[in-house]
Amino acid sequence: MAAVGLQTHIWANNTRSTLLLIGFPVMLTLVLFGLELVLMGFGFLPNSGGTLGQDIGLALSMLAGTIPLAVVVALIWFAIAWFGNQAMIDAMTGARKVERRDEPQLYNLLENLAISRGLQTPTLRIIDSDSLNAFASGIREGHYSVTVTRGLIAALDRDEMEAVLAHEMTHVINKDVRTMIIASIFAGIISVLCQLVFRGMFYASGGRSRDNKNGGPLILIGFAIAAVGYVFAIVIRMMLSRTREYVADAGAVELTRNPDAMISALRKVSGRSKLQAPDDVQGMFLDNDREGFTDALFATHPSIEKRIAALIRFAGGRDPGSREGSVASTATTAVPVS
Amino acid sequence: MTAIIVIVVIIAVLGFVVLGAYNKLVALDQKADQAFADIDVQLKQRNDLIPNLVETVKGYAAHEQGTLNAVTQARAAAAGATTVDQKVNADNMLTGALGRLFAVAEAYPDLKANTNFLELQRELSDIENKLAAVRRFFNNAVAEFNAVRAQFPTVLFAGLFGFGTEKPFFAVDTADRAAMTAAPPSVKF
Repeated sequence: MAAVGLQTHIWANNTRSTLLLIGFPVMLTLVLFGLELVLMGFGFLPNSGGTLGQDIGLALSMLAGTIPLAVVVALIWFAIAWFGNQAMIDAMTGARKVERRDEPQLYNLLENLAISRGLQTPTLRIIDSDSLNAFASGIREGHYSVTVTRGLIAALDRDEMEAVLAHEMTHVINKDVRTMIIASIFAGIISVLCQLVFRGMFYASGGRSRDNKNGGPLILIGFAIAAVGYVFAIVIRMMLSRTREYVADAGAVELTRNPDAMISALRKVSGRSKLQAPDDVQGMFLDNDREGFTDALFATHPSIEKRIAALIRFAGGRDPGSREGSVASTATTAVPVS
Repeated sequence: MTAIIVIVVIIAVLGFVVLGAYNKLVALDQKADQAFADIDVQLKQRNDLIPNLVETVKGYAAHEQGTLNAVTQARAAAAGATTVDQKVNADNMLTGALGRLFAVAEAYPDLKANTNFLELQRELSDIENKLAAVRRFFNNAVAEFNAVRAQFPTVLFAGLFGFGTEKPFFAVDTADRAAMTAAPPSVKF
């Protein structure tokens, strides 16, 4: 059913996330199948000795054995990410933990949001940077963390800051970090398998296998299938990420009851969010505006314009306009953070 | 045998559709009730501040009895309101009365300099803004509930589940609405 308001907008996006997550095992199966065909083409795997069609049929029947193997690899990979994730993010972003006494206003805002949902208050971290950004991290209860930049604290008023913290709290509530780790692990495994296939192609130019008379076509078909699986896995990952951003924006409105604050916060962040970090971490940012990376299919975040349009359409928000630093209609609500 | 399987599958699918529709309606109904409770919280906070405001103004502008009485009466009406309609009316009356009170205060320089008065004015305008936000949130929730209730296939079972009627909006007077869509009322000093 199409979205008609905030809650149905969230439901529709969550349904989309589930469908996208189902796409990963499908793509993994596809790439495994491609890999099998290539290996068969080289004679590393036994062939049927018959026609091309019989070889492909044999490869299909072998999937029953290879899929469980791939699942086990994925689980081991996931276990490593599960325990090492937070330490890696802390090391890469240079974020510093702050206590209540360091930032009492900010800490209270976050604590109130957590209390309103009956959650443990996440650790608050600050990055000393002039850019305007924030992100949530952590995959286990009691290990959640919300990080904001110094520039964000300076630029946003109280209501806008609350909206941004609520956006990050929604990522925590929805366990989006976990979802994105699953996505990146699947994408990682698929890309490793694809590299095997592509290296195989190089190898093919050296010596052709004599074991299989269908070698050439099998390698080509396998390569094509793996390439399709690889591209789709990346597109699915980015679509999943964008879907989660819409949900987090909507969740922020649900927590703060104030769509205007989320919109004016996005307006202020727009164009000023650049923050150095590895790609996987950038995918978790409040905004990840990549210069020269205009292809909508491969962006981790929807454009600010699209996010604001969704907030106006589904949450009844009002756009104060994109004039720099001007929030005329909400100026009287602004209670300074300090 | 095949016929039985087909019938069982059809019944199961229908069951899921009905179950899904019911759960959606309950969730949206809850959301709207919760949003209305948010309006109540803000209204109550505003009502609690008003006696202090009236006392402060009395100290400086005792002969503005008419305006002060209007505020007190509107507050009493707001406190006694139970249905959405009554609350909407009382809320509009109170907003109007408060606007007139602040306009009157303009003529009293001593009052305008009183820190207590300034603090109350600031708090009230903050609540007024929050009220505007929660009102819109409530109306959004109500609109969503009403839309899903009237959509196919939910509309077929809505009455059956006890969601037969549309929920009322928290409406604002047409004149006030124009003012609200523009900017919150600003108070000059």
